[in-house]
Amino acid sequence: MSGSIERAKRGLLAEWRLHALSVVSLAVAFVCLGAALLVVVNLHELKERWGKTGRASVYLKDGAAPAQVEALMVALKGTPEVRGVRYLSPQDARAVVFGSSGGDATLKNLPQEAFPASIEIDVAPEIAEAEVQGIVSKIASLPAVDAVETYGTWTARLGSVLHGGTLAAAALAAIVFGAVLAVVGSTMRLALNRRRTEVEVLRLVGASDGFVKTPYVLEGTFQGALGSTVAVGILAFLFFFIRSRLDTELTSLVGLDLTFLPPLVVLGMVATGALLGAMGGALGLRRLTTV
Amino acid sequence: MAGPARAPLTPFLRAGSRDALRGSETAQKKAVLVFDGVQKVYRRSGGTDHHVLRGVDLEIERGEFVFVTGASGSGKSTMLKLVYRAEMVDEGRILFCGRDVARLTDDSIPFLRRNLGIVFQDFKIVPTWSVAENVAIALEVIGLSSRLIRQRVAVALERVGLSGRGGDRAGVLSGGEQQRVAIARAIVGEPALVLADEPTGNLDPALALDILGLFEEIHASGTTVMFATHDRTLLDVRQRRILVLDEGRCTDVHTGLDHFGDELDSDLDDSAPRAIVAPTRLRRVG
Ligand SMILES: Nc1ncnc2c1ncn2[C@@H]1O[C@H](COP(=O)(O)OP(=O)(O)OP(=O)(O)O)[C@@H](O)[C@H]1O
Ligand SMILES: [Mg+2]
Repeated sequence: MSGSIERAKRGLLAEWRLHALSVVSLAVAFVCLGAALLVVVNLHELKERWGKTGRASVYLKDGAAPAQVEALMVALKGTPEVRGVRYLSPQDARAVVFGSSGGDATLKNLPQEAFPASIEIDVAPEIAEAEVQGIVSKIASLPAVDAVETYGTWTARLGSVLHGGTLAAAALAAIVFGAVLAVVGSTMRLALNRRRTEVEVLRLVGASDGFVKTPYVLEGTFQGALGSTVAVGILAFLFFFIRSRLDTELTSLVGLDLTFLPPLVVLGMVATGALLGAMGGALGLRRLTTV
Repeated sequence: MAGPARAPLTPFLRAGSRDALRGSETAQKKAVLVFDGVQKVYRRSGGTDHHVLRGVDLEIERGEFVFVTGASGSGKSTMLKLVYRAEMVDEGRILFCGRDVARLTDDSIPFLRRNLGIVFQDFKIVPTWSVAENVAIALEVIGLSSRLIRQRVAVALERVGLSGRGGDRAGVLSGGEQQRVAIARAIVGEPALVLADEPTGNLDPALALDILGLFEEIHASGTTVMFATHDRTLLDVRQRRILVLDEGRCTDVHTGLDHFGDELDSDLDDSAPRAIVAPTRLRRVG
């Protein structure tokens, strides 16, 4: 094995230009794939935040009597479709906003009326959008209620965007897989052509198949892993650069907190690169001289 | 060079059998290589088959030096290729150290080749490797320790007159020197048989004689050599057993130093194959 690593190293050094070229093309391919994944991951995150499935806020009129509110709470709790009911006083609402952002002077000066009392309800996720709308309109007509806000349509929209994004990412992934295989395979074939004598000699002195092939597979693995690692590096750099430029106030208000690819996905990308590289390396050997 | 540093026996030969081939009196008589009714046909795309060998019988004993000769296209290279299994026989058997080469599986071909030393006209050395690396590869494939490899490579390089050149890039060597590297690689594993396919073909006449001398030294130390050439002058140097290929048949000839020359000469220099006329010395084998 150490001999194979030694020979792989020798091969990589001797043909470094060729290998550098293929690492760069691999990196480009993986940046595309990674960017698509990044979009999917963040859309997913957004959906998670917004789409606490079937959540609704019932804003109460300022003059609503406590008894009316209490009756409404009881009625809501008695509705089978509703899973949870929580009363949010104006003070609570204020705390929710300031709790996370730490308190901004201009926001603190907002009048108490800016934070109406509300009842937060969780609707069971299996309830269809139409039924939720039915319940909502009934609640909205009650005297104590000012307005009802649901996130259903948003969630649905986001869901379809996410679905489209996932499909696009999958298509990209397929293209990248093909490209990676082709690139590494043809690099290996080129390297192999230049080293035809080497392979011929190995065959003639009685090298086993594994002895001949292992260094090439190692080279491919290294190339693939390096290419995908470089891609992750480029993506991380771009990501954190862009994120640092975005207005943090704005993003936190929208509830959009951009996240980078989770470690497992990064690891998966590098591993995929290595695996594809190995396969490419083995594939390039199919036309090995048969001495 | 049967020193203490000896390669572990590769599975192609059972433990002991190789030593038997080298050592004991009875094994001395045992043939290293036997061709038994060997036929080889190249199928051509045009549909016409080309019968290169039409039933070749021969026997090469341990420690022999045998020339293989014949006009261009008579099948010298083919004959050697059959031995190292770059080609397959169509009929007959080839026994190498008692094993039928044609019946080896693809997986055992490397083991066959580890018991052969092969030298070509175009050297087939890797120009980007050092001289020592080019020789060492023959031992690396059998997994010897690097200390042992270094030792034995040094010995082999000395035998071919390249001591001290181990660190040089093989590509910068002259043709004659490159061929010496190839010969060192062929003998470093102490093979049971050395096959040489026109090893002097790319060298000028003086160098060719040098290289032949090297093969004779190797032979003198006990190695069996099969040397294919169409170079007349080499055949005349010394009295040797010569296998002449002609129209798919192999004729076994023992040369005298000079009186045999003329008939062979005319045949070799004329590309149209003709039967050898040397009745007093012809001996068919098989
Ligand atoms: N792979 C092949 N396919 C078809 N025909 C072949 C193949 N290899 C060799 N031949 C033919 O077989 C014949 C013998 O070839 P071979 O190379 O054995 O000749 P040779 O005696 O070594 O000639 P030379 O002295 O020129 O090297 C030639 O006519 C050649 O064209
Ligand atoms: Mg030939």
